Amino acid sequence: MTNPAEHAIAVDRLTKRYGSLLAVDGVSFTVRKGEVFSFLGPNGAGKTTTVEIIVTIRKPTSGSVRVLGMDVTKKKYGIVPRIGVLPQSFNSYDRLTVRETLQYYSRLFSCRNPDIDGLIDLVNLKDKAGEYYKNLSGGLRQRLGIAIALVNNPEVVFLDEPTTGLDPRARREVWDVLQGLKQKGKTVFLTTHYMEEAELLADTVAIISKGKLIAMGSPRELIESNANYLALTLQVADDTAFGALSKMGFAPVRTPPNTLTVRVKDANEVQKILASLKDAGTPLLGLDVRKPNLEEVFLKLTGEAPRESPAAERTTT
Amino acid sequence: MNLRVVGATLVVNILSFCREKTAMFFTLAFPVILILVFGTIFKDQDSLSFTLHVQDLDRTELSAQLIKSLTQTGRFTIVPVDPAVAAAQYAKSHKLNLVLIIPKNYDRSLTERMSLDDLAAFATLTYIYDPSSTSVDAKMQLLSAVFAEINQRMSGKPPFIRTEATSILAKKYRFIEFFIPGIIAMAVMTASLFGTVNLNTELRQKGVIRKLATTPITHSDWILSNILYQFILAVLCTVAMLAVSYAVFSVSLQLNAWLPLIIVLEVFAFAGIGMILTRFVKEAQSAAAAANAIMFPMMFLSGSFFPIEMMPGFLQTFARLLPLYYVNEALRAAMIFVDHGATLGYTAVIAGVAAGVFIVGVRVTRWEENT
Repeated sequence: MTNPAEHAIAVDRLTKRYGSLLAVDGVSFTVRKGEVFSFLGPNGAGKTTTVEIIVTIRKPTSGSVRVLGMDVTKKKYGIVPRIGVLPQSFNSYDRLTVRETLQYYSRLFSCRNPDIDGLIDLVNLKDKAGEYYKNLSGGLRQRLGIAIALVNNPEVVFLDEPTTGLDPRARREVWDVLQGLKQKGKTVFLTTHYMEEAELLADTVAIISKGKLIAMGSPRELIESNANYLALTLQVADDTAFGALSKMGFAPVRTPPNTLTVRVKDANEVQKILASLKDAGTPLLGLDVRKPNLEEVFLKLTGEAPRESPAAERTTT
Repeated sequence: MNLRVVGATLVVNILSFCREKTAMFFTLAFPVILILVFGTIFKDQDSLSFTLHVQDLDRTELSAQLIKSLTQTGRFTIVPVDPAVAAAQYAKSHKLNLVLIIPKNYDRSLTERMSLDDLAAFATLTYIYDPSSTSVDAKMQLLSAVFAEINQRMSGKPPFIRTEATSILAKKYRFIEFFIPGIIAMAVMTASLFGTVNLNTELRQKGVIRKLATTPITHSDWILSNILYQFILAVLCTVAMLAVSYAVFSVSLQLNAWLPLIIVLEVFAFAGIGMILTRFVKEAQSAAAAANAIMFPMMFLSGSFFPIEMMPGFLQTFARLLPLYYVNEALRAAMIFVDHGATLGYTAVIAGVAAGVFIVGVRVTRWEENT
């Protein structure tokens, strides 16, 4: 149990109901000052609702939420100057430049000597400082959104899906910025459905599913306590391997293109599977055996894939 | 209330407006174009003159004199029609709404009446007319008035009933001067209602308002900055319209302290209606359609373009329920009649409406759809 004074955020039995839908169901957790806390969950799990309550833009149905020791329902204007928020699907004024946008938000926070150039440098937008927001690509917009979230030099930074919709390169650029925040000792509340993002950046991971908090701990703890198996990935030419593995009592999962993933206890089981497929004359194009990662833990705990379907996910440069 | 925050948001709105050419056009240029178009159309209404096609079948000195006296009224430009053509066919083929026929023997009948004092002698002038034309009645009435005067003069006795017109206004006003206050009221309504609806729905749909909700800006800071923004647009719009009216049409209107007061109240009233509207109609396009549905009937029914006395009784009663009617009347009372008592009465009604809808607007406006 940590000292409450060390808590940047304390959520206790939080519930949010929309009519008959229970979006958040008795969620409790704490976030220590200076840690990167990653909030994971499938789409519609209640992540954004929880974040929006914590950052004071929604009201809880019941339970309590304290940010930097203040109650979110009573001390909105005590909390907001000390936090920075990148909301989901962030947008800004189309016809303001990057610099003007940062200047505007710094005025909203009544910042005395805002370091606009420093922020522009931090998110690597120096070349785009005079560009209108509407002309920025998705990745640049997200970087500007992060800079806005930092304009008041906040103690706690909330980033709600900061890399959704970005291509791998743009995503890595955002990760670099987040790692910089971590080094500066900021408390970061990161909502994401990208497991590698959480695994790379987070000190603590909390997994929410169907409105309930189902697991919490460091990425290593979660993997060790929830995934005592190996993941065998087989690259196959046709579907015969699927039947063969099913007959052997395994539960293979088809993952395109032409691959099957199956959980095994140890190396002996891997050997057994390979021998059996060879005997059955099933052609094998390739294989990979590895320890499970956070994605597999997530899959196991929630029963759902963490990411949106490839069709729904758009990449933006 | 943080004035620094209000000022910063106001500057952002003004910068965005100045950088959006379409918005600038519809807010500033459109009402000016309306003034120019309608001003030109109605410029000569007070000295309206018609083109009159006349077929003189008599072709005598006396019939020529009759045509000359029509010309001398200054209301008709005469176009002669060949006596050999069929007048009705001529009117149809030339798309004319009226041809006047002076009959053969006009000269003889007139001589019999004047020289021989033969009361049985008379001349029948024929109107060949198109009843579907909207302006033909005015033309025929004018002609009949001219002929009645000729008949009266021929009787040799001074008229018994005479008329005298005394204007209730200090000076003679032209139609354009009545029209301008209506257009100002309409332009300010459009800017405030549409401005509020667009700003609220667009920023909400884009998620900008959700971001602003995580900053120290308060609800009242946001609303005050938007009202100031709408007021600045309304003032710019009014100044542009008045400048064009003075420069192009040399209008003579009273500019006094009532004008900014009425405009600021109108901005509050229509911004309030806009806020109420966007609370219940959330999509930008539907909200714009709803704003149009409110605006258009109001524009035509509340006397912006023509006096409401031209409408049927029940519509006149309905017009008196519309806030824009009171803005039109207040502006006309202030700028044309310079009747401070009447202006005060109308302004009080606008102030009441503005206070009511604005308070409701502020109360129903939410930054989040479901908090």
